[in-house]
Amino acid sequence: MQTTTDPMRIIARVTAAILGSWLFTWGCAALSIGTMVASGISYDQASVGAMLFAFLIFVSAFLWSFVATSIGRVWLTLAGGGTIMTLLAWWLQRSLIG
Amino acid sequence: MFANFRLSMTWLHTWFGLVLGYVLMACFFFGTLSVFDREIDRWSIPETRFPAQPMPSFDNVLKPVFEKLRAHPDDMAATAERVIGPLPHPDTMRMSSLYAYTTHRDPVLGVGGEFDIPNKPKDPTDDHLHVHGYATIDPRSGATLSDDQLKIGSEFFYPMHYSLHLHWLNLGYWIVGLAALVMLAALVSGVVMHRKLFRELFTFRPNKSTQRSVLDLHNLTGVVALPFHFFFALTGLIIFSGVYFPLGETLLKPLAERQEVLQADRTGLAHEPAGIAAPLSSVDAMVLEAKRRWDKRGMPGEVGYLLIEHIGDQNSFVSIFRAGSDQVASVGQGVHFEAATGKVIREDPPPTAVTAVNDYLAGLHLQQFRHWVLRWLYVVGGLAGCVCIATGIIFFVEKRKMQHAKANVGGARIVDALGVTTVTGMVIATLSILIANRLLPADLPLRGHWEEGIFWLAWLASLLHAFWRTAPVLQSRLAPAWREQCWTIALLSVAAVLLNWITTGDHLAATISRTYWPIAGFDLSMLVVASIAALSARALGRRERNATDPSDDDQDEPVETAHA
Repeated sequence: MQTTTDPMRIIARVTAAILGSWLFTWGCAALSIGTMVASGISYDQASVGAMLFAFLIFVSAFLWSFVATSIGRVWLTLAGGGTIMTLLAWWLQRSLIG
Repeated sequence: MFANFRLSMTWLHTWFGLVLGYVLMACFFFGTLSVFDREIDRWSIPETRFPAQPMPSFDNVLKPVFEKLRAHPDDMAATAERVIGPLPHPDTMRMSSLYAYTTHRDPVLGVGGEFDIPNKPKDPTDDHLHVHGYATIDPRSGATLSDDQLKIGSEFFYPMHYSLHLHWLNLGYWIVGLAALVMLAALVSGVVMHRKLFRELFTFRPNKSTQRSVLDLHNLTGVVALPFHFFFALTGLIIFSGVYFPLGETLLKPLAERQEVLQADRTGLAHEPAGIAAPLSSVDAMVLEAKRRWDKRGMPGEVGYLLIEHIGDQNSFVSIFRAGSDQVASVGQGVHFEAATGKVIREDPPPTAVTAVNDYLAGLHLQQFRHWVLRWLYVVGGLAGCVCIATGIIFFVEKRKMQHAKANVGGARIVDALGVTTVTGMVIATLSILIANRLLPADLPLRGHWEEGIFWLAWLASLLHAFWRTAPVLQSRLAPAWREQCWTIALLSVAAVLLNWITTGDHLAATISRTYWPIAGFDLSMLVVASIAALSARALGRRERNATDPSDDDQDEPVETAHA
């Protein structure tokens, strides 16, 4: 079979799929809530709306972590993207609250 | 890591499905039981076997109940861990808010209140400085039910399906959340793995080899009930999204707090007390006014949820929500009153699109509305989920046991033993708590704790039995553990029905002639379970005997390689 059995590579994939996807979804949800609030939607509406889609994003990222050929790119996209979106959401909130 | 897309999906489906399949099995099984949680409550607390009641009069029945309600010792202990210094005596604590909640299936009423405490929190960001009190009352008299009695359906099976009763660091919620995510991933990857999806929808070959018929059943239940499974896994995650993505309590707390203040300004429902004492006017009059307004909208209804905030303060308000017996959303159409004067502050406008979608999804999952056909369809869908997961685990074993036997490794046996524990063992544990409920003395202190203890012990016993009696898997034979636990299920189910008769006098002829379906339905379901378990045990016995017969055509068929 063409599938690897190297435990380190499996651990890298599995942790990327779970933790990386969680962080990516977290950032995505935070940034979309922030953007919606900035555009005049109330926080609770924005939050409920974001959560309706959050788990579809989560599961897509989860599946993609196993499909993508390069594990480095998986980690970079999920953890990097998640962190950047979280920082952007934080910055957006600061500019909104003043 | 994987040669192609299909292989990556196959790996994911096999290994995540195996590891979290055991947890998913518990979610689906106890979730299925939760569909009839109120009925299981009636069976386990015989003195509550009377018809469902509407929300009682607040002024005459509930007011004295709330005056007697005190902080619960369990929550006192939990709160004492979070705050600095000793908590005041429960008799001296002031109740700041209260609620009462009922549905169209509840003869008894759940009530609760929050009590203010002067203590400082150990964690400065912890702003939850309340102790909770809660009780279950008979709404006809206001009498409180003994706290030692466990509502097995709504207080044990129901929380089991989303928290596993593992409360440390919310660990149970996180494990269930991961399992639900894996369920979604397994459904997608399961579809991707199969080229002939449509044909598999109609394929079931029960008389072929175990491996072949198990795979057919796995595909059949997985594909036919796919929208059901996807919906429940996804909405379960959405319902607990606050646990999995607590943005409003962490990163976006400032925005969430600003929203609360803005919302209070907009709705006129005070966020904070004024600090000026004020009396409570007649809540019954407010209920009448709320009902009048629902009538006027052309949607007459009963009160489902009643809430009072900032009790005894000038800013206190009473919120009355309509029970969702005739709509998917659990409660709605709230009318809010000034507590001191009984004047209407506001009537909730129709929900926004986002709120309506969310309430609809959550309401369809929680199913508090009246629709008995759909309620039974939920049971069918939930059990299809259990069959899908169980056959997935069995297929894993069937596919590998020959190979593992030759290589002299025990992997297949361990998987099979855990499979027995989560499939038949879970049913045995469930029946054991019900039987314990009928056998333990009525006045035993902490009776509910004993019942829960017996549940876990019975499950542990089935685990030990499963590991002992799966030894033949090492020689690639069928484990007798399955058959033996099936017989145990058959015996225990019949025993539950008989014990209900002996201890309460409610035998089937009586409950059916009285058309008291909560108990009649429960007992009939037990007999169906007993029959299925006995038939399965006999079929397993035949397979075990046939397996030793060399003329049998088992094991020698080529099997599809879709499941790697």
